[in-house]
Amino acid sequence: MTLRTRIRDAALRIVGVVRSAQVERRLDDEMRFHLDMLTEKYVRAGLAPGEARRHALVEFGGAERFKDQARDEYRSPLADEIAQDVRYSVRVMRRNPGFTSAAALTFALGIGASTAMFSVVNGVLLRPLPYADPDRLVVLWERNVARGNDRNVVAVSAFEAWRERARSFDGMAAAVPLPATIAGSPNPERVTGAEVSPGYFRMLGVRPALGREFTVDEEGGGGANVLVLSDGFWRTRFAGDSAVLGRTLAIDGRAHTIIGVMPPSFDPPQFAWLQEQAFWRPFGPTEGNRGWGRFLLVVARLKDGVAMGAARAEVEAIAARRANGNKANEGWSVTVVGLAEQITGDVRLPLLVLLGAVGLLLLMAITNVANLTLGLVRRQSRELAVRRAIGATSSRLLRQLLTQSLVVAAVGSAIGIGAAALGVGALVELLPPEMPRTSAIGIDARVLAFGVLAAALAAFVVGAVAAFRGGRGVAGAPADGDARTTRRLRGGSLVTAEIALGLVLAVLAGLMVRTFTALRDVDLGFAAEQVVLARVGVSGERYVTPEARRRFFDELIGRVAALPGVEAASAVSTRPFGGMAPATTVGDASAPPSSDSLVADVRFADSGVFRALRVPMLAGETFDARDGLDAPPRVVINETMSKAVWPGVSPIGKRLRILMFNGISPEVIGVVGDVHLMDARTRPRATAYLASSRFPSDARDLVVRSSRGAESIVAAVRSTVASLDPSVPVYQVTTMDGLVGRSLARDRFIAILLGAFAIVSLLLAAVGIYGVFAGDVAQRRKEIGIRVALGAPTAGVVALVIRRAVSRAVLGVALGSVIALGAARAMASLLFGVGAADPLSFGGVAVLLVLVAIGATLVPALRAARVSPLVAIRTD
Amino acid sequence: MGDKGRGDVLQGTLDMLVLKSLQLGPMHGWGITERLDAGSERVLQVGQGSLYPALYRLERQGFIASEWGVTENNRQARFYRLTSAGRKRLAEERATWARMSRAVDLVLAMGER
Repeated sequence: MTLRTRIRDAALRIVGVVRSAQVERRLDDEMRFHLDMLTEKYVRAGLAPGEARRHALVEFGGAERFKDQARDEYRSPLADEIAQDVRYSVRVMRRNPGFTSAAALTFALGIGASTAMFSVVNGVLLRPLPYADPDRLVVLWERNVARGNDRNVVAVSAFEAWRERARSFDGMAAAVPLPATIAGSPNPERVTGAEVSPGYFRMLGVRPALGREFTVDEEGGGGANVLVLSDGFWRTRFAGDSAVLGRTLAIDGRAHTIIGVMPPSFDPPQFAWLQEQAFWRPFGPTEGNRGWGRFLLVVARLKDGVAMGAARAEVEAIAARRANGNKANEGWSVTVVGLAEQITGDVRLPLLVLLGAVGLLLLMAITNVANLTLGLVRRQSRELAVRRAIGATSSRLLRQLLTQSLVVAAVGSAIGIGAAALGVGALVELLPPEMPRTSAIGIDARVLAFGVLAAALAAFVVGAVAAFRGGRGVAGAPADGDARTTRRLRGGSLVTAEIALGLVLAVLAGLMVRTFTALRDVDLGFAAEQVVLARVGVSGERYVTPEARRRFFDELIGRVAALPGVEAASAVSTRPFGGMAPATTVGDASAPPSSDSLVADVRFADSGVFRALRVPMLAGETFDARDGLDAPPRVVINETMSKAVWPGVSPIGKRLRILMFNGISPEVIGVVGDVHLMDARTRPRATAYLASSRFPSDARDLVVRSSRGAESIVAAVRSTVASLDPSVPVYQVTTMDGLVGRSLARDRFIAILLGAFAIVSLLLAAVGIYGVFAGDVAQRRKEIGIRVALGAPTAGVVALVIRRAVSRAVLGVALGSVIALGAARAMASLLFGVGAADPLSFGGVAVLLVLVAIGATLVPALRAARVSPLVAIRTD
Repeated sequence: MGDKGRGDVLQGTLDMLVLKSLQLGPMHGWGITERLDAGSERVLQVGQGSLYPALYRLERQGFIASEWGVTENNRQARFYRLTSAGRKRLAEERATWARMSRAVDLVLAMGER
């Protein structure tokens, strides 16, 4: 009774502080009216007004006392009780610091991890793109069913046809990356910009911060020599000088007039090979670029009310008319895809898998806290029973248990969400480099709402479990009283749940780790170690002739090869793992062209590149002095092409038809091993290597093999280039190892994150299972004591406890395996070299989980074995 | 708490009386004391210390509702009126009261016949 009274008084004092001014005013007004009426009554009875007022006041009694009582009744008792519950919960938590810190930290872990992960998903996938009506923006691709390529870059003529004839769009713009050399001191700079159709910025709904965007006239002649700068480039190159408009800048030796600067908030669409953009110049169709093949990226804005399907149908019809009777366009249709899906489509599945995994982690955290709370409720059960005996209702006690979990959840979630807010920056650093839209990742209202909702859900589940199980103590008999005889394992279903959830996470992590190692172990077809890559690009008047380009690169390669410590040096048009590069259809030149259906990658190689990369020469030889500018072209092919075009016969001396340079038929002089040109995952395609000395390109990747440190080699290469021509830039410098490593960044990221989640989940499972069995053994001391007294051997007692754990674990393994299989199937496209139902991952993890269960039970089991038989004869 | 314990019985009766007085029509707190005063032939004098808490309690329970209004003397006062829940409650309390008072009467009349 005294406890209740004390709590109630304390609660009243708290609530008294927060009483509302509105209530006070009403009490005052009513009291004044009543007093006035009372006074009038006495006046009517014949008293003088002053006297009447005094009588009224006396009769009315103490005004404050009246107000206190009235206030008491006015206030809802629910508010009082909630205040009581919160106060009581805080006290319980202070009395149980072990429980409080364990529960709050577990909550913080679960809520923090899921909030941080959600902030990434929110930024990358959920936040709208930073353009006007971004849902109406689409990307158009050419689609070739026969080649199995549904997102091919677009030919200029196709873009022109769509733009002129289609009525579904409010605007359509082409874009193409423009890597360019910008002259300057001390070093020439290599910067990537883009050529875009005039109207591009208007279509996105962004306008320059300074100056203007391109006009339609500036499309003429392949694009006027005018420039719009990005904010970043403007700041680094021109120190943010607002007088920059009208100044000129030489791009690849051609003077351009600066007409605009974009605002810092402008984040240009980045997809396919359109990545960083430091500046923009106008793009316009010309007779020349109509013959260049397919190279454009096309963005368009759907008209209001036009559905994407309708737009697709219209452009498909245009493409069909173009294909009709035109050899070059035959088989080409159109793909229309939303811009947001285009930009983030590749990372959607990995991010959702990680969000799902972190959700499982949160479930485990909830399970563990529920478990801890049950233990606490068990310790409180005597007190709960007493409170019930003196008149507390069941609903009142249940509400109090619920409040207790809410308070713990509130503390834990606040820590978790705070940690997520602080840690989101570190998480962004961890993201693989190709992750789009990382600048949009952060804590916004939606992320906060997610965190709070997750916390509320977690608190409710924990509270419900506590109330439901704790209800036994609440319902009457003290829980401790019947515990001695119960055969049921308290929290058994929690053990099953923890094992099942831990198994799912560990299996997914296992599959991704196996994927990562399989990718790492792929034979790439070349030796990546000790290779340094650097791109060298020549431009301007001096290198207009192929002969000048050829002479420069021959001299450069010769000098680099002669550097001390260099084992081999050569060059290729695009390095392996270097991204998009030319591809075309090829075939046996002795067969009719109609049968050409094989798509082959094409690279321009200097003669020594196979030796420098250690690509095996399987037959024939590489290029030599015979491959001069006027010589008939010759080709080196890879094994896949050899087998596809000339199965069973030697290709040496045969002629390959290549649809490039208006169709050439070079003689095959060598066969080399297959090389993974794109990444480790993609199987090598047929590849044709043409001689750089015959077709000298203006930018090449130097490939330098050396046992010297990469940094000293790079410095030597830079000074060699500068000694030949100081205006030639050296860029995209990296080691081949680093490049291969970066290509695995996404798989490594998923594997590391899932692995970390799995380790945490196993720890949570171990802690949770330990807690359940420690409680179980403590409650069955008497039973165990009797067994020991009757002569049960130590091993038997240990086995008694462990058997219970194993049977629960096996059930959890079975349950978890079913869920894990479903999850693994859903993420099958992320896997490599391992099946979704990989028996090693499933079997290994199942054994691991059972071992974790046994390990976690071992300490309680040994404690049980030490129970003295004396407890059997003691009563409590 | 002792006050409350003794108040419990009185409260029950007071609530019923307040509800009854409001059955006659909406009235402010002062008017209710007057009605009870007159209606009980000055036997029941309800102190304002009990009346207003009772009014707030009944309002919170939804048996009566209140709003600001103007008295016949053109003064602002808060008027209380019976809700349908209050009417039901009054009927129940009357039935209980009738049963109780009959029972008390019967006990007091024991052996007097």
